[in-house]
Amino acid sequence: MVWRTHRFDSMGTVVSIMVRMGDGCDEALAEVEAVFRSLDETFSLYRDDSELSRIARHELPLTASSPTVKDAYETALTWRATTRGAFTPNRPDGVVDLNGVVKAMAIESAGRVLGAAGAVDWCVNAGGDVLYDGFSPEKRDWVTGITDPADRGSLLASVALFGQHRAAATSGFSERGDHVWLRGDSEKHFAQVTVFAPNILLADVVSTAVLAAPAGELDDLAGGHSVDVLAVFSDGGLVVTPRLRVQLAA
Amino acid sequence: MRIRAVVGAVIASGAVILGGWEAGAQHSTTLTTQVATPGTGVTGSAAAPQTSSGSTASGTPTASAATAPGATDGTYKGSVVDTEYGTVQVSATISGGKISQVTALKLTDDGGRSVQISNRAAPILRSEVLKAQSANVDSVSGATYTTEGYLSSLQAALDSAHFG
Amino acid sequence: MTIHEVRPPRGAVRQPASAPVKARYRRRMRRADLLVVLSWVSVAIVVALFLAQSGTRGFASVTDAVTSVGVICGLVGTDLILLMMVLAARVPIIDGTFGHDKAMLVHRKLGKPAFYLLLAHGILLLIGYGMASGVNPVVEVGAMWATLPDMPLAFLALALLVVVIVSSFVAVRRRFPYEVWHAIHLLTYLAVLVAIPHQLSVGRLFVDGTLQRTYWLALYVVVAALLVIYRFLLPIVRSLRHSLTVRRVIRVADGVVSIELSGRHLRELNASGGQFLVWRFWTGKTWWHAHPLSLSAVPSDSSLRITVRALGAGSGALAYLPTGTKVSIEGPYGIFTQDARTLPHAVMVAAGIGVTPVRALIEQAELAPGEAVVIIRAASDQPPYLWQELRTLCASKGVVIFLVEGSRSRVLASWQSADAVERGYTLASYAPDIAKSDLYVCGPAHWTDLVIQDARAQGLRRGQIHVERFDW
Repeated sequence: MVWRTHRFDSMGTVVSIMVRMGDGCDEALAEVEAVFRSLDETFSLYRDDSELSRIARHELPLTASSPTVKDAYETALTWRATTRGAFTPNRPDGVVDLNGVVKAMAIESAGRVLGAAGAVDWCVNAGGDVLYDGFSPEKRDWVTGITDPADRGSLLASVALFGQHRAAATSGFSERGDHVWLRGDSEKHFAQVTVFAPNILLADVVSTAVLAAPAGELDDLAGGHSVDVLAVFSDGGLVVTPRLRVQLAA
Repeated sequence: MRIRAVVGAVIASGAVILGGWEAGAQHSTTLTTQVATPGTGVTGSAAAPQTSSGSTASGTPTASAATAPGATDGTYKGSVVDTEYGTVQVSATISGGKISQVTALKLTDDGGRSVQISNRAAPILRSEVLKAQSANVDSVSGATYTTEGYLSSLQAALDSAHFG
Repeated sequence: MTIHEVRPPRGAVRQPASAPVKARYRRRMRRADLLVVLSWVSVAIVVALFLAQSGTRGFASVTDAVTSVGVICGLVGTDLILLMMVLAARVPIIDGTFGHDKAMLVHRKLGKPAFYLLLAHGILLLIGYGMASGVNPVVEVGAMWATLPDMPLAFLALALLVVVIVSSFVAVRRRFPYEVWHAIHLLTYLAVLVAIPHQLSVGRLFVDGTLQRTYWLALYVVVAALLVIYRFLLPIVRSLRHSLTVRRVIRVADGVVSIELSGRHLRELNASGGQFLVWRFWTGKTWWHAHPLSLSAVPSDSSLRITVRALGAGSGALAYLPTGTKVSIEGPYGIFTQDARTLPHAVMVAAGIGVTPVRALIEQAELAPGEAVVIIRAASDQPPYLWQELRTLCASKGVVIFLVEGSRSRVLASWQSADAVERGYTLASYAPDIAKSDLYVCGPAHWTDLVIQDARAQGLRRGQIHVERFDW
């Protein structure tokens, strides 16, 4: 078993994989790429022929969409209810944007593929959302670096995985123009939110929800779940949840 | 009742109860060893809970903002106690020799899942965060980059290091 | 006073109890001991499950200890209630090992401890949780009701149990008919069901995926299955299979009738003389009474006979049952049979309608001349029921039969008549081999106790004494 790295473009971003595996590594990585490609083909709003684009153009009713789309939509709606609208697939312009959920689904599937192929230690990073399993090449807990929103070239913090957490997701304002639609007054909002969670979907949804909601709602949004949060204000101020504070001090 | 039945019942029941007690004792020791105390080596014994979540720390008096003489700053996890909400572990943060914050962490809820009933985020200094940095970052999490943006990102730098 | 005697011919052969009989007895006693051990162990298991999960932390502080003891009380109390249900379920192995009446005796004895434990469970947890939150128990009730899941149901369960217990106080029970009391008693099923949600959702003991939860749910499933099968389904199936109907009602004496029933495949019932069944006669007036009545004769493949004292609200109508009335049965139950014998001799003592099972027992039993002695106690002016049949049977089997007539002694409490007491007779006077005899007693409750007193005074062990009681 050796460590392999792999990188490919998908969903408008770059997916970086590190995995320790013996035989079958190429096949597994090819399958991971296929998973991402297939989901991208269905859900990308940047491709005219994707199912979601056709739905956006009203060529295809949502009710007649494929089970994959329906499941993703249902997941997104459930989270919309849980976060009281902070996380929502419905853009203000009426288009259904499932990007938030789909990337997480793709990462999860990738993890399953690698696990099924016999890999025990791996890391899948899709555009800044990361899912881990096992231990790092240095045989320690995986360490995640968090970029400084004010300076993309430097790190704000580095956090070793702790507790039940296996995933890290960060929401912020990216260059592309993003899927985070702010709720309420935009004054008291965070500039960047990083969430550590036991799974990538939870991390992604909570980070998006906390970013979209006024800062005061962080405790409500994060409190009901087993997550840890590091959030950055636009003036650079930071807040963290208790366990993460302990972890940083350790 | 017949003698044989009584004797058999007493012995069997005693054995079963003893077995249960042993299993419980083992289970407790594993739980306490999981409760790691960070850094300074002062064993954590939580002081007054300020929350009204119904948890009690065993054997310590209640008072808010109690001083913990000789305790070094940091966050300590206290003993695990049972309440009707499930198992609760109290965690106390000490700064400047005073308890500045106490939270109750609920270890399991009714469905047996791990839940935190109190997960309040609090301010932290950049310097505290920065000093925790390690040179050995494996992956970078940040706001999503485009394929172009990736090229100038930290993740790209990391990937080059791994690839190279 | 009259004492009739029918003595066996001289030189009658006395046979010792055969080896297979002794072996059967030993097997039954082993089974009995095993069942008793299992019952106690079931209580120990629930306590052990709790200890395994909470460990020493459960008793770390006073609050913790109070709460833990409260939970243990609930666990043991519920386990006892489940045991009570199993005892009342008419499970064949229990009836065959202990006899249904003994099982019901234990059932009744467990009632109070179970109730007190459950009451303690509620109170201790109120106090314990209250101590933990720093509020007094009264306020804590409101808090628990509002915040913990399924607590209203748990309170309801306890309330139902209180109703059941109160209705079982003798003073209250006497006030209404047995069937009303029984209907209230069945509320226990509801109480047990309604308490299950809070057991599974509050606290950590029965959390999803634990061994504790599996065991606890399995316990409920097993008890429910036993009840459904043996208490409800089996009697229904049997009644349908054997299609019993009333054939004839014969007047035996004032207020006493024999009811002959015809049916099919009755041999499959395996009913033995001395056993009883619970009968339900389907007419407008009588269908809602269930009567426990002994067979008064050994059944054939197509007929059964019972002899009833048709007095009182429930039984009075039995004298007027039309031919062809459909009858449903539960049973046969009881170990008041020759299968319970282990000793060379047998002594049967009966009074009043208690002669019924004794007569059937004599007919069924394989008795050598001189092996058995029968003592019938009767009031002054009336021959015992089925007297002629008894005499004929005893004569044909060489069984000695005594009839003790006369009024009771006003001076000394005894099962015998005043004259017999004056002459200093005891059981041994009628049956010299009483110490080596299986004693069968059936009659009014208080009188039966006096017979047993005499027997114990003669040195008989409890295992030698077989009693048929109908007051359950």
